[in-house]
Amino acid sequence: MTEADSYVELHCASAFSFLEAGSQPEALIERAAELGMGALALADRNGLYGAARFHTAGVRLGVRPLIGSEISVCSFGNMLTPQAWLPHQHPHQPPRLLLLCASQVGYQNLCQLITRFKMREATKVEGAATLEDIQEFSAGLICLTGGDEGPLAVAMAREGSNAARKILDRLTAIFGSSNLYIELQRHCRRDQECRNQTLLTLAAKLRLPVIATNGVRYSTQDDRELFDVLTSIRNHTTLDKAGRLLVSSAARLLRPAREMAALFRDIPEAIVNTSIVSQRLAFTLSNLGYEFPHYPVPAGETMDSFLAQRVDEGVRKRYGSPAKRHLLEKAKTQVQRELKLIEKLGFAGYFLIVWDLIRFSQQHGILVQGRGSAANSAVCYALEITAVDPVGMELLFERFLSESRGEWPDIDLDLPSGDEREKVIQYCYDHYGALGAAMTANVITYRGRSAAREVGKALGFEEETITRLSSLVSRWEWRGDNDTMARHFDQAGFDIRHPQITRYLDLCMRLQDMPRHLGQHSGGMVICAGMLNRVVPIERASMPGRTVVQWDKEDCADLGIIKVDLLGLGMMAVLKECIELIPRHYKKEVDLAALPEDPVVYETLRKADTVGMFQVESRAQMASIPHNAPTKFYDLVVQVAIIRPGPIVGKMMHPYMNRRQGKEEITYPHPSLEPVLKRTLGVPLFQEQLLRMAMTVANFTGAEAEELRRAVGMRRSMQRMQNLEGRLREGMTRNGISPEAQDNIVQGISSFAMYGFPESHAASFALIAYASAYLKVHYLAAFTCAILNNQPMGFYSSAVLIKDAQRHGLRVRPIDVQHSQCLCTLEHESDFAFSLRLGFNYARGLHRATADKLVRARRADGAFRSLHDMSSRVPDLNRKDMVSLARIGALNSIGDVEHRRDALWQVEEAARASGPLLRSTDSTHEKPRSKTPLRKMNDEERLTADYAGTGVTTGPHPMAYHRASLRADGIRSASELEHGNNHQPISIAGCVIARQRPGTAKGFVFLSLEDETGIANVIITPGIFEANRLVVTRSRILRIDGQLQHQEGVVHVKAKQIIPLDIVQADVGSHDFH
Amino acid sequence: MNPELYACVRAAEFPSQALLRLRPDLQSLPIAVLDGRPPLEQVCSMNRHASRLGAVEGMTRLEAESLIPQDAVPDQALRLLSRSLEGEAAARAVMLECASTFSPRIEQASNGIDCAIVLDIGGTDRLFGPPRALAERLRSALAAAGFRVSIAVSANFHVAHILAAASRGITIIPAGEEAQALAGLPLSLLDMHPDHAETLTIWGIRTLGELATLPQIDMIARLGQPASVLHNLALGVHPHIFQPKEAAFELREFCEFETPVEQVDSLLFVGARMIDSLVQRAATRAMSLASLDVDLALEGGKTHQLKIRPALPSIDRKFLLKLLQLEIATKPPSAAILSLALSAEVGQSSKVQLGLFTPQTPEPSRLDVTIARLKAIAGEDRVGSPVLEDTHHAGTFHVADFKVHDSPASESTSQPRMALRRLRPPLNVRMVLNAGQPALFFDGRQSYRVTTCFGPWRSNGCWWSAAGWDNDEWDILAQSKDSASLLCLLVMDRTNSEWRIEAWYD
Repeated sequence: MTEADSYVELHCASAFSFLEAGSQPEALIERAAELGMGALALADRNGLYGAARFHTAGVRLGVRPLIGSEISVCSFGNMLTPQAWLPHQHPHQPPRLLLLCASQVGYQNLCQLITRFKMREATKVEGAATLEDIQEFSAGLICLTGGDEGPLAVAMAREGSNAARKILDRLTAIFGSSNLYIELQRHCRRDQECRNQTLLTLAAKLRLPVIATNGVRYSTQDDRELFDVLTSIRNHTTLDKAGRLLVSSAARLLRPAREMAALFRDIPEAIVNTSIVSQRLAFTLSNLGYEFPHYPVPAGETMDSFLAQRVDEGVRKRYGSPAKRHLLEKAKTQVQRELKLIEKLGFAGYFLIVWDLIRFSQQHGILVQGRGSAANSAVCYALEITAVDPVGMELLFERFLSESRGEWPDIDLDLPSGDEREKVIQYCYDHYGALGAAMTANVITYRGRSAAREVGKALGFEEETITRLSSLVSRWEWRGDNDTMARHFDQAGFDIRHPQITRYLDLCMRLQDMPRHLGQHSGGMVICAGMLNRVVPIERASMPGRTVVQWDKEDCADLGIIKVDLLGLGMMAVLKECIELIPRHYKKEVDLAALPEDPVVYETLRKADTVGMFQVESRAQMASIPHNAPTKFYDLVVQVAIIRPGPIVGKMMHPYMNRRQGKEEITYPHPSLEPVLKRTLGVPLFQEQLLRMAMTVANFTGAEAEELRRAVGMRRSMQRMQNLEGRLREGMTRNGISPEAQDNIVQGISSFAMYGFPESHAASFALIAYASAYLKVHYLAAFTCAILNNQPMGFYSSAVLIKDAQRHGLRVRPIDVQHSQCLCTLEHESDFAFSLRLGFNYARGLHRATADKLVRARRADGAFRSLHDMSSRVPDLNRKDMVSLARIGALNSIGDVEHRRDALWQVEEAARASGPLLRSTDSTHEKPRSKTPLRKMNDEERLTADYAGTGVTTGPHPMAYHRASLRADGIRSASELEHGNNHQPISIAGCVIARQRPGTAKGFVFLSLEDETGIANVIITPGIFEANRLVVTRSRILRIDGQLQHQEGVVHVKAKQIIPLDIVQADVGSHDFH
Repeated sequence: MNPELYACVRAAEFPSQALLRLRPDLQSLPIAVLDGRPPLEQVCSMNRHASRLGAVEGMTRLEAESLIPQDAVPDQALRLLSRSLEGEAAARAVMLECASTFSPRIEQASNGIDCAIVLDIGGTDRLFGPPRALAERLRSALAAAGFRVSIAVSANFHVAHILAAASRGITIIPAGEEAQALAGLPLSLLDMHPDHAETLTIWGIRTLGELATLPQIDMIARLGQPASVLHNLALGVHPHIFQPKEAAFELREFCEFETPVEQVDSLLFVGARMIDSLVQRAATRAMSLASLDVDLALEGGKTHQLKIRPALPSIDRKFLLKLLQLEIATKPPSAAILSLALSAEVGQSSKVQLGLFTPQTPEPSRLDVTIARLKAIAGEDRVGSPVLEDTHHAGTFHVADFKVHDSPASESTSQPRMALRRLRPPLNVRMVLNAGQPALFFDGRQSYRVTTCFGPWRSNGCWWSAAGWDNDEWDILAQSKDSASLLCLLVMDRTNSEWRIEAWYD
């Protein structure tokens, strides 16, 4: 045994003890590897939150990751605190036992134990186990008694060694003397050493073994500073005031075996026992014991046979129509192949569980569509999990499921965001039980701003200063060399050479990415028909009715736990609302699954007139879609896929666009690849194409090809890649492909494998994109109404969506208490056209319940006759509500109200109505009123009131009021740009509706400026941006002097000079993308 | 009865004016005043030269410094001064004193960082001539005292106040023209509740003239009674009950010596008379002296401040003088004394209610004298009750005021406990180590051989401030050559690698 092997640290907490330890699990493993420690045990507070990451890191670096947890036990009273005569602020909390998993049974018991006391609570709280809980789940666990946080420390401090002995007797009865170790820690403290001596005496008397640990809270001594900051944060105090809450020295680091042996040279058996216990801890997360979920099937059926029947029914339904009958046989063959593999891999239960969710959604009228690589599967299509026909589109099943991959299938379902998605989630809980389904967690970590705030608080800065400092942290996705926190501080006038600011900066950096608390993932749901609580602990989420597992989705994936993503997609909710609105108002039915290929829709797309359309509305999409000029559905699939960081970084976009426009010849790496790459003009864009290329040129099987894709994608597996490349070249040689062509193909595969996009996923999104475009083009009123009712979503604010709809001829009516509903609605004009009426959901500050009562009162007794009438019929409307409504013109149609200020004048009186006794008299005998002394709002005031009260305006665009003076200054409107010449000097002005600094654009900033005629696009170089940073990021209206760039229908202005314009007082907000 | 007439005097940017008042050499330079604690200071006030350079309120120090070009001529560059609240208080007193020569009835009307006072000048025309003449003389007098002010005179208090803030120089509003004078001024000049300000803004009311045109009764029906006040203010007819700043009951005595005083006895001779006077003035109001602030101006420009706070308010002249004497003996001034200022705070004369079973405690005044004597001998912060600090730093405590507690003594334990006797200051020693452990040390008089040692007991903290420590403690049993044994606590300061004896074990 080497010296390093002689000691194994068995008591080690990571940052996943949430504010009670200062190092990430990976940092602990890396330090253990540096120290040559062969194994390390992680024991976070009341959970296994960091265990998955700890395990993955341990396996990677060759340190055996042992799993345990510090479990709070309420039966022992409160944890040790300083003596009463010493000033201190220690909160009361239960002491903790260290439980380590010796076997799979032990692990399952630990998971169940944690789940038991976490779920016993009604809300998300820390919780604590009882000794009865511990007894029930003690099998397979080894118990260490803990240090300062343990029950023996507090018992001895309060009642002496006899009390400690009683606890040891109880623990011995639970765990047995062979599974209980008396823990000794040495942090160079007198009180601790005194306790150690008593414990040694007790151990000798009771014949219990002793064991040394260092109660590790951070990997290296430097992390103690961060640990102290976290302690201050946890206790809501500052470092100066934390006092004895902080540690007395930096001793709780991961020490080398040599140092531990020296510390315990007088008790060598305590060191030897660490090695013995580590060998007894046979369990690691590699043998998690997770079983694939089962789906209950009728008697006499197996899950495979039941699935086959459902798929058969689905195939007949999907391919039974005359339009698709020619694909029926091909589809049957494909599903047979897929079912065979599903049966072989034992995945039938998973498909049936997802099918069950789809069926539930359909039965309850909830729109649902699968996305991702599942769309490659004919089985998924037949089960109506996905909407893309993989047989018709010749998609490749192997991208979804492959025998050799050893990985679970991953199906993501898009659902309308909001209540309908919640219904599906609650169905999972109801159907699979509280211990059979849970959401995956989302670890909330400190980011730039939160780190800046919390460190500021810990250092005792004043609130105003903290706000100012934290507001300096950049939110852009792109960060240039100069984009450091230090530089921002310098620019904002803080002296970064001052020691206090230097330390602040340093701590901010170190706190970033540290876990803060556990949230729930937006949609990932783990379903395990059975005992999910044996696989991973489950606890309550903050949201009522939700539970989460203690791992996030990456952890679950790393450990092979299957999840279904139930994702809320705003556009799904829009589509759902559209298909309800259209029959009601247009008297037409719309079948989203059978929308026709419409040239008008493609023409609109080609013009980049795509505001509000799913996936194709962003600045980058608008700039590229005219180049792509889509004319059929597949063009849209490519369009959705190509404007992504991957294809852009992989330099695939420009070759494709050039070929599309005929500027570049269409070539293929080898003639045999023409069928594979023909659809994308010889440019490999999709991951499925890579697979087919390998299958075509080198006769790879689908599974081998998928293995190749993954090997190329993971650059670390060089050896594996070399082997596969060798096989690829052998295959190509056998097929008579020349060495030059082989190089070309290998190069092609390597360059895009990293960045390729799944074709199936693009096709799924393209379906929604086309549906949104179709509905916008043909049913603008319904589409706009639906999208306004489902904000926030997409790239543009409601104000922009309304202005865009108005430019397309839609009449938008303002909020009106005589006509508006709670949500936006459609109205029929006298000329049979539709208009959109804004709903009370756009009246800022008006509660939904109040709006409901207002609408009900109007329905019950007709229109409001006066403001007094309204205030007496809707008593919930308070003065503030009525002022808000008056200010935005919502009361203008009541009685004798002449204008907004008249309403405001009347409201102030109506809001001070008589008490209950005289109210009826008031309402029946309304006093004659004098004319308002207030003047009407002017345009500027109306605009300001609209934006302040609703965030939108239904009147003219703010820039329209200034057009004459702008024109006199030589400023063009957005619509005039397309008539300009390339490289022509030009000036434009408009409201900034979007700012973007994408990570792929090398520091360039893209602005969208809107005026009454449309949207102008501005490109700002990094140099110009740096010189005008504050103007660009803070001004609402800008004048841009620059050069026009006009290429194939795509128009930009390249900024040379940027001037803020202070012509509109209204707060026209922008969407900033980072 | 004289007709009402008010003159409002307003000194804008008062923090900078207060600083520049006594520094005429700086008045022609751009000056910005910084407020707040370093490194987070911000500009709170500036003169117009600084304003022209681009200084604005709220700038940080670095931002203000960036306004100073590297090649700037020193005399023309922006200079940054720190705010002095004491200086502002003194300047305000001077301003009041100056104004009080024109009218004995003065009301303070400051808001924000400006300083404003309103003088009741009704009936002063025989003394100072017409209002304009008075205003000009007042302005000249204040200019001579170093203040730049605007003055507005009106028969209405509020009109004068508003116009002084809105105008420069001297503005005289003839009676009856108040509304006209106010009409064009912005609404923000009225001090009103934010809700009312918001309502009036959304009503489109921007000026006092527009507010004045609204029907008052309708306004009251909508905004309540405050509307009446606002309306009257806008019309310039809102009445005001003048609340002159009477010479506040301030127990302050000041004496400037003709020649610097070096003898404490001479100082106390004067001090005794001053205390007499203070006690007499307090006694006439049935009050006692609760504390006495002593300000000594010293040669060389320094000041020396002392504070005497008896346990109970007192009017015992001899007792207070004794405390003063002891305080001066505890903290003697470092130079000859130019002036002595005594200011007292008053409290109720006190009587102590004794209980039948309350243990006998010393008479409070005698205890005070005793504690003051002890402080004179041992030092200000070394007498009182020790209070432990909430920190791991061993032996850290502060001394709080001595109090007699009547709580029962803590139960004595049957087991004898070892006591630790700390050495303050600790005794430095030279240490010889053996295998990393203390073996032999020399305390300056003799050397000791360590026979038994326990440790190290490690403690460190406060890494974020200059008060950080990093110590190793050892419990040592040692013997000198003459077989004298020593049981002590040795500390190694790991930051400075120094060894010292911190305590003996009894």
